[in-house]
Amino acid sequence: MALIEMEKATFAYDTLPVFKDIDLQVKEGEIFCLFGPNGCGKSTLIYCLLGISRLKSGSVRLCGKDINKMKREEIARVLAYIPQLHEKPFPFKVIDVVLMGRASHTGFFATPRASDLAVAEEALERVGMLKYKDRPYTQISGGETQLVLVARALAQKTPVLVMDEPTSHLDFRNELMFLETVARLVEETKISVIMATHFPNHAFYFETSNTKTKIALMNNQQFTVQGSPSEVLNEENMLNTFNIKSAVVTFPWESGHVKQIVPLKTL
Amino acid sequence: MVLGSLFIGRYPLTFADVFQVLGYKLGLPNMTVPEAVHINVAWDIRLPRAILGAMVGASLAASGASLQGLFRNPLVSSGILGVSSGAGFGASLAIILFDNRTFYVYLFAFVFSILAVALAYIIGLHYKTTPTIMLVLGGVIVSSIFSSLISLLKYIADPYEQLPSIVFWLMGSLATARFKDILISAIPMIAGMAGLTAMRWRINILSMGDDEAQALGVNVLFAKGLAIFFSTLATAGAVCVSGVIGWVGLVIPHIGRMLVGNDNIVLIPTSLSLGACYLVLVDNLARTLTGAEIPLGILTSLIGAPFFIYLLKRTKGRGW
Repeated sequence: MALIEMEKATFAYDTLPVFKDIDLQVKEGEIFCLFGPNGCGKSTLIYCLLGISRLKSGSVRLCGKDINKMKREEIARVLAYIPQLHEKPFPFKVIDVVLMGRASHTGFFATPRASDLAVAEEALERVGMLKYKDRPYTQISGGETQLVLVARALAQKTPVLVMDEPTSHLDFRNELMFLETVARLVEETKISVIMATHFPNHAFYFETSNTKTKIALMNNQQFTVQGSPSEVLNEENMLNTFNIKSAVVTFPWESGHVKQIVPLKTL
Repeated sequence: MVLGSLFIGRYPLTFADVFQVLGYKLGLPNMTVPEAVHINVAWDIRLPRAILGAMVGASLAASGASLQGLFRNPLVSSGILGVSSGAGFGASLAIILFDNRTFYVYLFAFVFSILAVALAYIIGLHYKTTPTIMLVLGGVIVSSIFSSLISLLKYIADPYEQLPSIVFWLMGSLATARFKDILISAIPMIAGMAGLTAMRWRINILSMGDDEAQALGVNVLFAKGLAIFFSTLATAGAVCVSGVIGWVGLVIPHIGRMLVGNDNIVLIPTSLSLGACYLVLVDNLARTLTGAEIPLGILTSLIGAPFFIYLLKRTKGRGW
């Protein structure tokens, strides 16, 4: 059974249609990349998966259950969300931020218990951030913040992580570190990932690191193509979606090959 | 703090005098009957006033800290949703209609402060986008409506009897406090403070913003509504007996943030006790600095405002 199933999903803001009849399935231990031009509706699709926005028609099922019949905390026990840009309202300590991931496992008037603290510390350990646990999270870098938010999501103990362009504000090294962390988490914990991204090479990265990877190309309110990165990311599809000339290159690295797609020219 | 303030005041009482009164009133054995004037000063005037001061200070500080978290903005105070101006209007109306009878002043102040927040909340709900900003706007709108209405009431009030009462009420004071006032206003204050203290960790999560809080598994509409409800109960209970007392709800949470950090699990209890201490202290100053009593609301702002400037200077560039 798929962890997440979206069927004939349609969404519109008032009369402005965003996407139509989208089908999507995510299975255990799989990375699902959403790729498409600005404004194609990736974030809206993610909000519909999280139950923050409501579909106009169609259905979302999480672990087989209709999302409209689930309470907020039930959804939060299936899907954990890592936002694109997190505004830091107060200089909370890193550990306090990660502890917030335990909200769906705690009563309304309760405060986190020792067991929640243990889960939060373990999550920080997994992303290699435990040494920062008592730092104000306003005093760590953007890349570190993103890892702390991954730790918060891990503390939710969900089978699926949902990420919306998680690397868009990170520098070269931090971006790579983030991808490595995600690939390692998927391998170690069999967690699934849904990730909206503007970088097709992220999908290639996961594919070459031997993670089960799917990518969907979103354009004109539809998934135009869906499949493995090698099937989807080719010159023809880039031409149709972005109206650009591009080339797929492979080069040997370590014991295998690395694949990248290089944009060459707008048309 | 509360005990200490029993000694402070224009009528001198020795330690033995106060101890005698307390012992006598609490029914301790072997106590000689104290002088009537001592009982009057220590038990009937100073003690209720100190207790009330502590509760009012705690309520204002706790709801200020909570609302700062809720609105994700450290410059918010307990009056942001129009509580104070609603209470001011209610009290002024009661002073004019019922000839300044204490019970009606409390009742009207309480009812109108709740009404003001309800109105601000409804305005905020009406627009579905960025509800936090809409709530703040709702509060601003409601505050300005009630401020104008207060001016209108001042204009039509009898200038010899009613106008001074209105003006004094708006300056804030604990001077009228008696034990029966505590009983009336303690219920909403304690209920509000208890509610905020119980849900203080949820306020951490709400401060992450609506979308993230929802994704973390919090029913934002319900949690926010409840936090606003509790903080309104606490603030309304406080202002209806004390009048408008500024700055406590803004400055005290900041002192708390500097002392214990921003985690509401510790911040809200800290604000409670700091607020209680601060207001009792300032009230003691108000009673003793000059021969005639200085209205409390004036002193809290006079002390609070410069302190706030100092705080702003110190925290500049620290990411707020």
